[in-house]
Amino acid sequence: MADTPPKVPIEPARSGGAGGRVSFVWLIPLVALAIALGVAWQSYNNQGPVIVIEFKEGAGITADETVLRFRDIGVGVVEDVRFSEGLETVLASVRVDKEVAPFIDDSARFWVVRPEVSARGITGLGTVLSGVFIEGVWDQEVGDIQDRFTGLEDEPLFRPSRPGLEIALRATANGQLTENAPIFFHGIEVGRVGKARISPQTNFAIAEAIIYEPHDRLITPNTRFWDTSGFSVSIGASGAEVDFTSLATLISGGISFETFVSGGEAASDGELFQVYVDEDLARNSVFNASEVEELQVAVIFDDNIAGLTVGANVELSGLKIGEVQNVSGFIDRGTFGDSRVRLRAVLAIQPSRLGLAGTPSPDAALSFLDARVREGLRARLASAGLLTGGLKVELVMLDDAAIDRIENLQADAPVIPNTRSQIADPTATIEGVVTRFNNLPIEELLTAAIDFLNSAQSFVGSEALQGVPGEVSGLLGDVRGLVTSDDIKNVPVLLNATLTRMEGILQQLEQEQLVARLMGAVDAATNAADGVTASVTGVPDLLDAVQAVAEKAQALPVETLLEELAQLSDTASAVIGSPSFKALPADLSAALAEIEATLAALREGGLIENANATLASARSAADTVADAADDLPALVQRMATVLNQASTTIRGFDQGAEISRSAEAALREIQRAAEALASLARSIERNPSSLIRGR
Amino acid sequence: MSGDTVITAREMGLVGCRRCTQVWPADTARCGRCGAALVSRDRLSLQRVWAWWLVGFGCYIPANLYPMLSTRTLFTVQEDTIIGGAIELATHGAPFVALVILFASVVIPLGKFFAIAYLAISVQRRSTASYHQRHLLYEVVEYIGRWSMIDIFVVAILSSLVQLNTLAAINPGAASLFFALSVIFTMLSAQSFDSRMIWDVQSRQKETEGAHG
Repeated sequence: MADTPPKVPIEPARSGGAGGRVSFVWLIPLVALAIALGVAWQSYNNQGPVIVIEFKEGAGITADETVLRFRDIGVGVVEDVRFSEGLETVLASVRVDKEVAPFIDDSARFWVVRPEVSARGITGLGTVLSGVFIEGVWDQEVGDIQDRFTGLEDEPLFRPSRPGLEIALRATANGQLTENAPIFFHGIEVGRVGKARISPQTNFAIAEAIIYEPHDRLITPNTRFWDTSGFSVSIGASGAEVDFTSLATLISGGISFETFVSGGEAASDGELFQVYVDEDLARNSVFNASEVEELQVAVIFDDNIAGLTVGANVELSGLKIGEVQNVSGFIDRGTFGDSRVRLRAVLAIQPSRLGLAGTPSPDAALSFLDARVREGLRARLASAGLLTGGLKVELVMLDDAAIDRIENLQADAPVIPNTRSQIADPTATIEGVVTRFNNLPIEELLTAAIDFLNSAQSFVGSEALQGVPGEVSGLLGDVRGLVTSDDIKNVPVLLNATLTRMEGILQQLEQEQLVARLMGAVDAATNAADGVTASVTGVPDLLDAVQAVAEKAQALPVETLLEELAQLSDTASAVIGSPSFKALPADLSAALAEIEATLAALREGGLIENANATLASARSAADTVADAADDLPALVQRMATVLNQASTTIRGFDQGAEISRSAEAALREIQRAAEALASLARSIERNPSSLIRGR
Repeated sequence: MSGDTVITAREMGLVGCRRCTQVWPADTARCGRCGAALVSRDRLSLQRVWAWWLVGFGCYIPANLYPMLSTRTLFTVQEDTIIGGAIELATHGAPFVALVILFASVVIPLGKFFAIAYLAISVQRRSTASYHQRHLLYEVVEYIGRWSMIDIFVVAILSSLVQLNTLAAINPGAASLFFALSVIFTMLSAQSFDSRMIWDVQSRQKETEGAHG
């Protein structure tokens, strides 16, 4: 029991007495410390800088919660939200990521994204659950780091994340622009209108707009924009038509565009386009080629006359050269010395319609107008139409105008001097018409008309008249039958044939008749002469008979007869020797000259073949006439000879009564021949051309 | 022998295996049963205790600063630290649950830190406080240490159960990791403590008493 264990030397279990031995476990807190320090250093090192963004409104920005997003990725967190001095703005301090921070330079823009419910839909829905966030955009280049920014109130239109063509849109005189309206191309949204503002010079709405890539190449200088907001109702032959692009544009507005003329280079940033009221106007504007920027001039009219509206025509010599862009009344005591309300109309004149030489430009148009004004060009109001009572502005030249010139050439809208308005007062005219109507004896007229109508009624009601329509229709049927009958239809054919025949006859006559007649006349004369010669040849046989005749003729007043014969032969010679008979060849040649002239005209008229043929026939006819005319003196000579022979014969046998009788007969024959010649000569004298035409 | 004093194994010339509790003669180098190295007193014990204690306490700080749970519902993400969550539960009418959480996540870990630190200091300072009570304290610390993991269990179960996609989701926060590490390191710290040293003071006292008497 006493087996006590041997004494064991006790070593105190203290670290101090362990001869400096250190447990390896100490490594663990050291490692932990190192890790903690490393993490702390790393997190400090990774921390980006703090930027301060100034907003007008807090808009739900919360410290430690609201994130800053770039391309929809969080790149920072709001650390602190506080007011600026004087509580004017809200300052949000944002700790941004280190990698992004160098890019946030002066190109950076910030705005708060909030949920938004509009006619086109709901945007920023994510922020309903997550709260608002700050969206930032900046370019992709490292710039000078900036730590203080001013936040935008709204989302900017142009963003590097959504590139596109930046253009400016301008509303026309009657048009309007809607902010943030979508821009459609064939119904597809390809762009957006930004913030609109009122241009200070022109009283127009001007808005920046963007056409997103890749649709920006659709825009050329020939592109036309028009407003598609609202809807239009048109009632026409094809029925009623209601037209609106989409329900969204019905409420919020929208703009469409179309490039009506292909070609043309792509538009560049900053180009200005006009927004037309509707598609038709936009389309038409393309064809008003080479429209350039309009010249704006003002006219001040002494009277504030209602009726001049925006969009009214501005005319120069009846040609529309522009439109009234703006009308306002104003009072200027300093300039005019009284406080009357005057009418100030701003005219937009299209320089390309003035027909200026060179490139039309507003400056060229202004100098042109200035020169015209010095010569007496004045603006005046005139009635555009009688019924509507609308007014237009006319630029007219006045001869007696005093020297004047355009004022304020350098101003935005130089002032053109005006002259007295020429306004037909439609109300006065209508009043006059009404007065005349009043003075008409309408009562009597009505009474008479009633009487007339009564008698007309009884007349119309009579049975005889009742039958008339039937008869008329029968008659019409007859007429129709007659008109449609083959005979009537053949009439033109017959007429044509007749004409052809007449033409043939005419030709025939031309060719034959003249010669035949002349020959006949000459033959007759020759026969008569032959007869005379034959009777002379048979004289010896007749001597016995003549003897007896001469005895009988003893008692006859031969002297008187001889006298008459002498007279007759004198008359004949006088006729033949008369100047008109002698002038016959001259008349003939005149006629020939006339024919020549006619033929020349015909040849000139292009009927050369016909004319040649005609000429040939005419020439042959003329030749014949000339031959005939040549023969005439010989004929006359022969007749004179015959006559002489006859008178000699008669003198030789003046004792024989029988000879006297036969001579008398012969003389009568000769007389008749002479008469025929005389009548021929007369008719040729009266109508020389009949020789050729045969009539 | 008085009731206060006990005869230690070392005084008897024996050494106990700390793994399998087999008692061997004092100069035995290795346990014949389980093969563990045998030392009568672990001279590096206190170093290890303090080293683990420091790491464990270091982990406990972020475990309270960072959120333990992040609860994401349809509209909001809510992140709660341990104490914040307990307060929220208490204000929303669950004071008992809040109390349990506070007890398991705050009182017990802190108590452990204090207990281990106290034991280590008492050994170094040769405190004469009751050996039995200190030993009991050590036993309690060792036993209760594993239950601190109940918080981590709750977090693990919740985050694996409540995953309803967009509607709601619970995810463990950074604090849960630190809390788990803290618990682990604290347990290691407690285990590193060589409880036999509590009694060494007593034996030394006896020696001095015997020398004088």
